[in-house]
Amino acid sequence: MKTTPTYGSGPVVWAGIIATTCLLLFFFQKMLWLVVPFLLALILYYLMYPVLQRLVYAGMTRDAAASLVTLAFIALLGVGFTLMLPWLAGQLADGQDSIIRYGQGGLRLLERSLRAIESKWALLGNAHFTDTVVERLGNLGGHAAEYIEPLAMGVAAWTPSLLLGPFLTFFFLRDGQRFKRFLAHAVPNAFFERTLYLMHEVDQTARAYFQGLMKLTVLDTITLAAGLWFMGFPGALALGFVCAVLAWIPYIGSIAGGLLVVLVAATDFPDSTAMAYWAVALFLVVRLLDDFVYMPLTIGKSLHMHPLVTVLMIFVGGAVAGVAGLMMVLPVLGVVMVVGETIGQIVTDPRLLARHRYANSLRKDQVSADLI
Amino acid sequence: MSLSLFRHKAVTPRLERLRALSLFVDLTPAELRIVDGLVHERDYIENEIVFDEGDEGQAIYIVIDGEILIQRQGHGDNGKLAVLTPGKFFGELALLDDAPRAAQAMASTNCRLAVFFRADFIGLLDTHARVASKIGRQLARHIGRRMREMALAAGALQHL
Repeated sequence: MKTTPTYGSGPVVWAGIIATTCLLLFFFQKMLWLVVPFLLALILYYLMYPVLQRLVYAGMTRDAAASLVTLAFIALLGVGFTLMLPWLAGQLADGQDSIIRYGQGGLRLLERSLRAIESKWALLGNAHFTDTVVERLGNLGGHAAEYIEPLAMGVAAWTPSLLLGPFLTFFFLRDGQRFKRFLAHAVPNAFFERTLYLMHEVDQTARAYFQGLMKLTVLDTITLAAGLWFMGFPGALALGFVCAVLAWIPYIGSIAGGLLVVLVAATDFPDSTAMAYWAVALFLVVRLLDDFVYMPLTIGKSLHMHPLVTVLMIFVGGAVAGVAGLMMVLPVLGVVMVVGETIGQIVTDPRLLARHRYANSLRKDQVSADLI
Repeated sequence: MSLSLFRHKAVTPRLERLRALSLFVDLTPAELRIVDGLVHERDYIENEIVFDEGDEGQAIYIVIDGEILIQRQGHGDNGKLAVLTPGKFFGELALLDDAPRAAQAMASTNCRLAVFFRADFIGLLDTHARVASKIGRQLARHIGRRMREMALAAGALQHL
């Protein structure tokens, strides 16, 4: 009956949180075919949930509302795809030509830049540095067609896995609450309130993370589009959006986005080397803003993490599980952190453990009362 | 098809049981179905502690079956404050703030409780304000009644 002090999580719990995060990332990387559609389903779930809530309140059953929302989403996707199909077919038809054209544009820019450096550094000129680099990259570019087939096969192989996304979303929407109650039902009475709170916190953390990700995408798109538009790039908004989506992968995504814009600059502005350098400068600024301002403000803040922990864990995620690790480290850490801290509080609370033992002994006495 | 989607389902025994609880007495069947998705049912054994005095309150409990003893250390009559029977609820202040529990709740018989989590109530305020306001009204009535009882008890003591 006495008031017990609140026990916080210490260094042991934090070591456990980081170790568990690394272990999960390692296993997730091994089964990306399931983890990717699962993440996609979670994003869709948090986007569709408010609509489902409205339909339920309008008097619709949860099952019917989940079906209707999922079907509406699939229909919307179908309509969008049908409308985009002619444009997409055109893009695919000259896709190889475009890749080669932009690749050659990038190669020309690289050659011009290297020759400019060579003119300043005689040593590099004597070593025929530019000729060697251009020849090797030219050989790579010449085989671009060889990369397209495996790329197309990869897309085809991933399609069924991605189609699992809306399917999983439907079940999250329909059975989410039932699953939560099912989990809560398995928890002993002594830990029940804490566990309810834990599940709520996990839900809030995931929701905040995915909402943070959407905010980050909007901020990145606006910043990039504004910068590219100011520099006079064609299709600045679309380019900005593609780069913002690529930025979902910390560091590598930003580099890929930067490379894309440099290739566009080198091809669409062949006479202006400065344009490509300005694009690189823009990407450096956006990258710095992204890692040290936007991310801690959106995703990092949503996970209640210190910016230093956010940045360090991104590096750890990349080291443990590569690109997949970079993408997943923050949501996984966020959830493990909440679970770890709560379990840490429960197992270090002697009163809760004593209540649990007492309830077990009462149960044992009651079921064996009539036994000799 | 679309009409049948909105047609009210028959009220299940579980919903009937929920409607019999004073906290949810004003709710329509459709509103009860929303609350039903949020309420947990727990079984407690005789003498098992539901929560301790000083615990951080996260949920309100409603007695479905059995009896609950509310007691506080240092209070007269062996610390006994009240015995709650089916339909009654306790731990209601947890819905309003994070304050620690003011007393201990213990099952005085084997009992079944409905548990309504604070975060779900706050979520209802955002998404289903009408349902939350009906529950809030019952809660306010209950707290008002208790304040009147306390004021009357204090008045009686002054007269003594």
